[in-house]
Amino acid sequence: MGREEESDEVPAMVPRLIEKATNSTAPEVNPRLLKAIKSTVRYSDDEVHAAVQSLMVQMKKPHSQVRYLAVLIIDELFMRSKLFRSLLVINFDQFLSLSVGFRRNMPLPPPFSIASNLRKMSIELLEKWNSSYGIYYRQLRLGFDYLKNTLRFQFPNRLEIAARLQQERREREMRTQQILLNKFENLKDNFSSIKSEIQLTIDEIGECLEIINEKEEEFNLRNFSEDDEVGEFQSLTLRQIRLDSLKEGQKVQEDNDNKAIFDALRELFKLLISKHLTSVQEWISVLIRVDLNDLKFRDTALKEFIDIRNVIQSVRNRCVQLGCVLNDPPSQEEDIWEEGKIEDYIPQNFVMNRSLVENSVDIPSRHKCKKSAPPGEENNPFDSSQSVSERSRLLAEAPVLTWGPFLDNWGSKRDVLANQRGLELDGHWGRVDYDAVIPAERIAELSVHRTVYKEEAVEIQPCLAPLRKGGLCQRKDLRECPFHGPIIPRDALGNPIGRSPCSTGEIEKDSSTEATAHNGENGAEESPNMGKVTIEQLAKQAVKNVRERDREVKMLKRAKLAKVREHNEVVLREAAIASTSYSEATGERRDASHESLSEGKTKKLTLASMLKKKVTAKDRISQRLLSTRTKYYELVTMYDGKGGLLMR
Amino acid sequence: MWKEVRDREAGKLPPITFASRVRSCRVSALGLSNHKEIVSPHHGAVNALQVDLTEGRYLLSGASDGSAAVYDIQRATDYEEGLIARHRSLFVVDKQHEYGHKFAISTAIWYPVDTGLFVTGSFDHFVKVWDTNTTQVVMDFKMPGKVYGTAMSSIAKAHMLIAAGSADVQVRLCDIASGAFTHTLSGHRDGVMTLEWSTSSEWILMTGGRDGAIRFWDIRRAGCFRVLDQSQCQLGRRPPFLENTSKKIVARTSLAGSSSLANKSVSRKKSPLGNGMKQSQALHKPQNLLRTPVRQRSHPGMSSSHDRATAHYGAVTGLKASVDGMYLLSSGSDSQLRLWDIESGLNILAKYEEMSLQTSKSIHLALNPDSSLVFVPCMATVKACDVWSGLTLQTFRGHYELVNCCYFNLQDQELYTGSNDRQILVWSPPSAIINDLEEDNRKEQKFSADKDNWSD
Repeated sequence: MGREEESDEVPAMVPRLIEKATNSTAPEVNPRLLKAIKSTVRYSDDEVHAAVQSLMVQMKKPHSQVRYLAVLIIDELFMRSKLFRSLLVINFDQFLSLSVGFRRNMPLPPPFSIASNLRKMSIELLEKWNSSYGIYYRQLRLGFDYLKNTLRFQFPNRLEIAARLQQERREREMRTQQILLNKFENLKDNFSSIKSEIQLTIDEIGECLEIINEKEEEFNLRNFSEDDEVGEFQSLTLRQIRLDSLKEGQKVQEDNDNKAIFDALRELFKLLISKHLTSVQEWISVLIRVDLNDLKFRDTALKEFIDIRNVIQSVRNRCVQLGCVLNDPPSQEEDIWEEGKIEDYIPQNFVMNRSLVENSVDIPSRHKCKKSAPPGEENNPFDSSQSVSERSRLLAEAPVLTWGPFLDNWGSKRDVLANQRGLELDGHWGRVDYDAVIPAERIAELSVHRTVYKEEAVEIQPCLAPLRKGGLCQRKDLRECPFHGPIIPRDALGNPIGRSPCSTGEIEKDSSTEATAHNGENGAEESPNMGKVTIEQLAKQAVKNVRERDREVKMLKRAKLAKVREHNEVVLREAAIASTSYSEATGERRDASHESLSEGKTKKLTLASMLKKKVTAKDRISQRLLSTRTKYYELVTMYDGKGGLLMR
Repeated sequence: MWKEVRDREAGKLPPITFASRVRSCRVSALGLSNHKEIVSPHHGAVNALQVDLTEGRYLLSGASDGSAAVYDIQRATDYEEGLIARHRSLFVVDKQHEYGHKFAISTAIWYPVDTGLFVTGSFDHFVKVWDTNTTQVVMDFKMPGKVYGTAMSSIAKAHMLIAAGSADVQVRLCDIASGAFTHTLSGHRDGVMTLEWSTSSEWILMTGGRDGAIRFWDIRRAGCFRVLDQSQCQLGRRPPFLENTSKKIVARTSLAGSSSLANKSVSRKKSPLGNGMKQSQALHKPQNLLRTPVRQRSHPGMSSSHDRATAHYGAVTGLKASVDGMYLLSSGSDSQLRLWDIESGLNILAKYEEMSLQTSKSIHLALNPDSSLVFVPCMATVKACDVWSGLTLQTFRGHYELVNCCYFNLQDQELYTGSNDRQILVWSPPSAIINDLEEDNRKEQKFSADKDNWSD
């Protein structure tokens, strides 16, 4: 670098570089300056002395950012130069008190966030230095020991953690290796039997295939010749289609004659794929991973297994080619994948499946499921489906649930691996248990179906009993008016509907207690004939109430929105004022709060500006919380007011 | 170095000079030892340190958690990485011990004759004498207050007394032989922080109190015979003592035997700068008086103004007599270090650089054998000052809290310091010169990791 030549003439240029490097607001030392410092310091011992001195000068400055950068530089030089180490270590207690700020009479200077960073980093660095150079410098050991054992500072303890992780990993590897070894031994013993078993299955399949093929051979041949002649004149796609169809035709059709063979073939195929192929693949992976001295057996076994796998695959291909009859056992992953893809898609898929399996009956009920039909309609399908299948009856009976993740493992009672996806957890900072399992109960607990309870809107009927002074009783009680007994439908004059006039007269005269007793007795009788009238009335009133409620809700919402908007504005303005509170334009800029905010961000940071108090995010959040709380109270009181209105 | 060895062999250089040169050379190179480490078992501030006087091998420490421990400083108990010799305590007596001290140990000293006994004084009002081999208390003395300091005379032949200073105004002398207080010396107006036996006379005890006074006691008589006064001073050393003048003085003293010390000191005041006849006459008198019975009568009549004299403003926190018994160094809570001429009782106006000293506790000073250097605990550091010029030659930084005590091991030229941060640090000259070469080779390997590492 060109700097080295410069330092030839100027005896100590490190101090200037250091001053420059520490005079920055960046969280890192400017890499170019750092490099310059390093190369200059490397150049001569005088520069090292100068560097130590000027760094200590920087460390004494009452600004944490300066100290922070100085510590970063010190670390760089400390890890490199022996002379630097031995010089720094002489005044190590001073350095520590300036960087860690452990002395009560010498706390770290503002800004506080950087000061805490500085402390954290210095402690980390001290640990690092101590672990690498502690035995050469008593002062390092002393400082470390003092902070750790006397002042009880928390050190990150990197080394120990790393060692422990290493140990754990080694143990895990040992364990897996042991398991693999066991498996390998097992394989060694059973190798021939496994092979023969697989061979047997393959042979059987081969025989089956031969039998089938023999039967159909002539037919196929003829077909092929035909299609060759014709196909030449067709366009490519058409030809492809034709080829496909011909292939389809060529495939041996299952019929009564060869049903047994096909069955056997299917059975064998299933065995081959589901058992042998997987086991072979497993063995291969075991063989690859196992760590052995005896490589000969491993290699031969591996080779053989690979051969076997190839054979199995070829057999499978043949089987698949031969006929779609041998439909592959549907690979489940795919299905799950498709189902889980889009949320909307699921019910339809469901429906499709259902319709394939069943008759047409319950499609409407399905739809209803989806839409969570109003409770009134629930009876209809029930009635109609009585005659139909058991299943649809049950379906109708089944509760309607909104879709949710709990449907995924409905009724399953399996333990679930915590790390299901096989995430690489090495980068994780905590301890990691690779085999952690979430027990089934916990899963059930997690996927408990929750719904928000919605209170059904009930319009409380006024009592409407005729009062002695004229008019009707306007009390609204849920079931029973304390003065006029149970609330029953009444006509405009207050006479109970569907009751003998004499009895109403009685009630009018009677004291309330008597009336309640009386009504209690024949309450049961009333209910049936009450039905029609009330339903009509209720329906009307319900419509009205719903409308009213809607209006109220809207009003409320609007009020709330207005509040929120108002509040947001207030908060913004406050924030703006606060952030610019120390700048000269405190009063004037109230209106242009947004602009000033953005300006503040883009304004170039200086060391001095860092020392100024700012409204932190925390402040703002607390401010907001406070105001929202008050707003909430306002809302509550408002709502209470409404409630009161309703009551009256 | 090698030239000097050859000179000594050739007889050009007297062996004593050679030895002192080597020593001073080593002392000037003292630094925090990286290869010698004392593992402190204490959970509190280390208040007292002393290496035994007979073998120079066992370090005794007393700490604020009421524990005292002994270390072998010659042989390490274990080595870390083959480089750092760790000296663990041979034994610890602490609160768990049956007869252990309940509160902080403020002072711990060896029995000067051998290492079979040691004495600890504690804030629980007890001075205890321990058997080193069985680590049992063989004797204890109940003091009227917190014990601040104890001292035993290293040159005593006729008595075996522990002088103990406590929060009480009286200094008590505890006799190990009888297990009782033989003397109660009263005169201080406040607690006694620090005590020092004279290194030239086994009967002379010097005590410094919280009242700022340093009193000299002749234990054969009641009362103190001298109170040091900071305002009475002389400049520099006294001139070498001439035969004929001494005779004259003897004659004169016997004549003017009845004149009180106060009078003399008044007359002395008038000629503080004088190096002449008059002063040396006055200076020499006390020595003679010790020998002559005339002196006995002088002290009861000591004028009250003299009795009130103070050596420091505030408390006297540390005393240290030079090995030759000529000078006394004292430190006070006024952050001053004063050098006294023991014979004359005058303040030698040595100007020590400004330093701040601990004020609340007694501190232990250390002197190097030729009394040229004093090691002073200054807050969290220890300073090595030239006794005469007062210049600070070295500052030992390493402790993180206030240093309470330091002890200079004459034999190995090592300095031990104990501090509030519970550590005992060893400050030693860089490794021995003789086995420098082989050590270098060995270290070369050990230190291989500690090198420049400029990757970029």
